[in-house]
Amino acid sequence: MSTRRQAITLYRNLLRESEKLPSYNFRMYAARKIRDTFRANRSTRDYAEIDRQMAEGQQNLELIRRQVIIGHLYSADKLVIENKKTLKPSDD
Amino acid sequence: MSFTQIARSCSRLAATLAPRRVASGILIQSQASRMMHRIAVPSMTSQLSQKFGVRSYSAKSTIEDIKFRVLKVVSAYDKECRGRWQTQLVRRYSAKPPLSLKLINERVLLVLKLYDKIDPSKLNVESHFINDLGLDSLDHVEVIMAMEDEFGFEIPDSDAEKLLKPADIIKYVADKEDVYE
Repeated sequence: MSTRRQAITLYRNLLRESEKLPSYNFRMYAARKIRDTFRANRSTRDYAEIDRQMAEGQQNLELIRRQVIIGHLYSADKLVIENKKTLKPSDD
Repeated sequence: MSFTQIARSCSRLAATLAPRRVASGILIQSQASRMMHRIAVPSMTSQLSQKFGVRSYSAKSTIEDIKFRVLKVVSAYDKECRGRWQTQLVRRYSAKPPLSLKLINERVLLVLKLYDKIDPSKLNVESHFINDLGLDSLDHVEVIMAMEDEFGFEIPDSDAEKLLKPADIIKYVADKEDVYE
């Protein structure tokens, strides 16, 4: 049986891991998906259903971990929107 | 190549080698005389270098000479760089900025204000995240993660669930960073 604390730990691990995705699109999608899915299922009371969702979450966590590694192996350039403006002393 | 040519080149080679072999005998003598020359010369070269400003590396210079030269270079460097160091602010990223309780307080509140689900007008150091600010436990996790990013260290789950007010976070961060004032 999954507890509330386990769910929160899973949520946290998922968010932490999804931040490491190198591709902007995957990263943003993962963060959005994780938040929305947890919120959509927050009122679930059926224990069997909760366990099933938690197992799926764990599987997705593993998937994200694998995808992070693969993404770093075949990394692409950052998108234009990702490049934060770097401040140089000469700018101001 | 004909035999005559080979023979000629051989003889030429022998002719070039021969004088060297002879010279090696004289070598010791000439080296000794050169050493004598070295002992005699420095006094002359130092005079010369003072007169013409020529730096001779073979001559040994006195401590005063070296001191003078080094100080001249250092003062020139200082003069060159003085203006530059004052205008250019150097930030060293290896070190964290010094923290004080007040600064921690400001940074915690700033992070909370920027979090979109918190109403900045209701925000207070003593307001409870879940009861007063209307966050749920998932939002609370995100708040704690934002704090981890802000202060650059991990907060374990067991500690995170006790941090229910901004004041708790400030106290926890201060404890972790050994800030007492």
